[in-house]
Amino acid sequence: MTASNVKEDYLCLPDNLTVRAITTVQQEVLRFIDKNQSIAIELSDDCQVDISFIQLMEAARIYAGTAGKRIALKKPASGPMLDVLQRSGFLEGLSAEDAKFWLHQGGIQ
Amino acid sequence: MSFPDPIAVFRTEAAELLEQIEAGLLDLNVNLGDKDQVDAVFRGLHTLKGSGAMFGFEALAAFTHHCETAFDRVRKGEVPATQELVTAVLEAKDHMRALVETPSGDHGAMSEMLLANLRSAVEAAKNPGSAPALKVAPGQTLFKIRFSLPQNAMANGTNPLPLLDELRELGECKIVADRSAIPSLDLLAPTDLYVSWDVELLTTQPRSAIDDVFIFVMDEMQLDVSAIEAPAAKPPATDTAAAPNEVVSPAPAVPASRAASPAPAAPAPVDNKANKASENVRVPAEKLDELMDRVGELVIAQSRLSQLAGGSGDLQLRAVSEDVERLSGELRDTMMVLRMVPVAHLFSRFRRLVHDLAHETGKTIELVTEGETTEVDKSVIERLADPLVHLVRNSCDHGLETPEERLAAGKSEAGHISLSARQQAGEVIITIKDDGRGINKERVRAKAESSGLIQPNASLTDQEIYQLIFQPGFSTAQTVTNLSGRGVGMDVVKRTIDALRGTINVASHSGKGSEISLAIPLTLAIIDGLLVRVGSGRYVIPLSAVEECLELSIEEDMRSRGRSFISLRDSLVPFLRLRDLFRTGTKPDPFQKVVVISTGSERVGLVVDQIIGDHQTVIKAMSKLHHDVATFSGATILGDGDVALILDVGHLVAEGQQQEAHLRAAG
Repeated sequence: MTASNVKEDYLCLPDNLTVRAITTVQQEVLRFIDKNQSIAIELSDDCQVDISFIQLMEAARIYAGTAGKRIALKKPASGPMLDVLQRSGFLEGLSAEDAKFWLHQGGIQ
Repeated sequence: MSFPDPIAVFRTEAAELLEQIEAGLLDLNVNLGDKDQVDAVFRGLHTLKGSGAMFGFEALAAFTHHCETAFDRVRKGEVPATQELVTAVLEAKDHMRALVETPSGDHGAMSEMLLANLRSAVEAAKNPGSAPALKVAPGQTLFKIRFSLPQNAMANGTNPLPLLDELRELGECKIVADRSAIPSLDLLAPTDLYVSWDVELLTTQPRSAIDDVFIFVMDEMQLDVSAIEAPAAKPPATDTAAAPNEVVSPAPAVPASRAASPAPAAPAPVDNKANKASENVRVPAEKLDELMDRVGELVIAQSRLSQLAGGSGDLQLRAVSEDVERLSGELRDTMMVLRMVPVAHLFSRFRRLVHDLAHETGKTIELVTEGETTEVDKSVIERLADPLVHLVRNSCDHGLETPEERLAAGKSEAGHISLSARQQAGEVIITIKDDGRGINKERVRAKAESSGLIQPNASLTDQEIYQLIFQPGFSTAQTVTNLSGRGVGMDVVKRTIDALRGTINVASHSGKGSEISLAIPLTLAIIDGLLVRVGSGRYVIPLSAVEECLELSIEEDMRSRGRSFISLRDSLVPFLRLRDLFRTGTKPDPFQKVVVISTGSERVGLVVDQIIGDHQTVIKAMSKLHHDVATFSGATILGDGDVALILDVGHLVAEGQQQEAHLRAAG
């Protein structure tokens, strides 16, 4: 079975994705990855984001990759998340893989 | 016999290598995929580094090594060639020249700044998505900052984003998050901070401003800051480069036509002469000047010998004198050829100048050069460099419009400047032409009237109006820029061309562009002249300007009185009576002669008493006391030791034409 044939399971995250709620979000993402093969993270357009969430997503990519699973954002980063990515320097020197994950550049996942 | 100083030899070779590197970089700039040029630039840098190290130019070798490494990566396909990278290496090349010329100078800060720019350019080429490379300008400091906040910073309420925002407010900033310490999700303590940052900050602020950003977390964080300060001034631009102090004959030809940044153009094939460089002998230019002086003295001595032999009945002496005359003539011709260098050497520097000016003015400029193989005496070439730089700068800055203005005027976005050279009757004509806005005649006239240069409503031809721009302090530029517009320079151009016995012709069409032509004698040393007598004085007319000689009988002379025209094959040619002009106070010979001279399409006759014959003329400059005498361009020593003045053909033709215009106006 190729990756493109895998049915994606959506994880819809809460609006608060800041350090105040990040511990709960970590548990939720961890559980979801453990249960599913291909995960798409769904965020609302007006979610609150800080660096802790960006960091968590990077950690989730490592975790999923190590487990041979697929993780992606349902939509390319926009709004508050794109703003945090830019201000924090995550978009500087982006690799092709990173650009694909965060911005869906170089082909939709 | 003296042996050449090896350091001087290295400097000469380095100058040639730097020229080759620059030419390669400029070609590469118009065709970034040209692997041959990448290889050529790499080889040049490699040779310069190796030779520099061998001759003890350690700083040069170390600095060049970094540029060579950068180009090696381009060569191997690890990094693409970009215009930023080419520009960075071009600037580095200018610095290499300084390292060659003054190896013991204080170049450290400049070297660091240029290498930082080079590293940024390589980095930007490698990661095209990243922010453009930061370039350090004079007065700025490039801070390289690496920092990590305490691991519990976020949990304690410190948000890194406002700190990064504050850094951005200090200047131009490139921030890269280092994510390498982020663990797998199952090992992540989500409120801990794993990210650290690398920042390049280009600012005029002091180091303390950076410390202030982190003042509340300073005790627990890690902060490393290193600074690269720009020196006070940038390295000298190409156009101020010293004139060549050596000539190699024959000089290698350069491609016939090249376009400057950034419009693409394929470079023309390299002339085969370049491959024969090893057959040339390098001769210091001052040795050639010495030799030229000796040949000049020999020509004068031979002239004296001819005169003595002519007056003696000794046939053997005459035969020897004729041999010496023939040999000295051949020697003179050979000497002249040795001194001739193609204008390609002069034109090549304008590619870089236009490249830099295009960058500086934000205009797109294409430079086309023609006639690079036209040869001119080396001393003329050296003295033409500065006036041409000024004229090209003027065209770029004031002549050509901005891309927006050009598009609005229905022109192509790219402005065009052409620089061409050709020979015409003992002169080289160098033309600088642009397709810009042209010279505003009304504004020139108004400015000249307001400055008191001309009377209000004075009757002037277009050419006379255009010539006003060469008056000292004259500028119609509405804005003064770094390049031009201060009214300083055009008068210097005029003075230099006058000193070369040359003339300037200006043509302009509003909205279509301007054309400035410089007509310069091919040589300043020895010319073939026509020796004539006017009254009791003898004068030399440059033979290259002589079209024909006619006889003017007393009757014809009487008939033409008041008109001063002769009919020459159905056209009227104005003539000047040199006897009147020079106020000899002598009676005319019964059979006067008219020597018809020309500059291009304009002709004038000079009435003389006697044509003595041709004469090899060694030109001697007029003394400072006679500097303002416009009718003569120099003097020469005749065989009998007398001095003959050399007529200034350009001036006399202009005077004749003026006389014609007045007579025509008078009906």
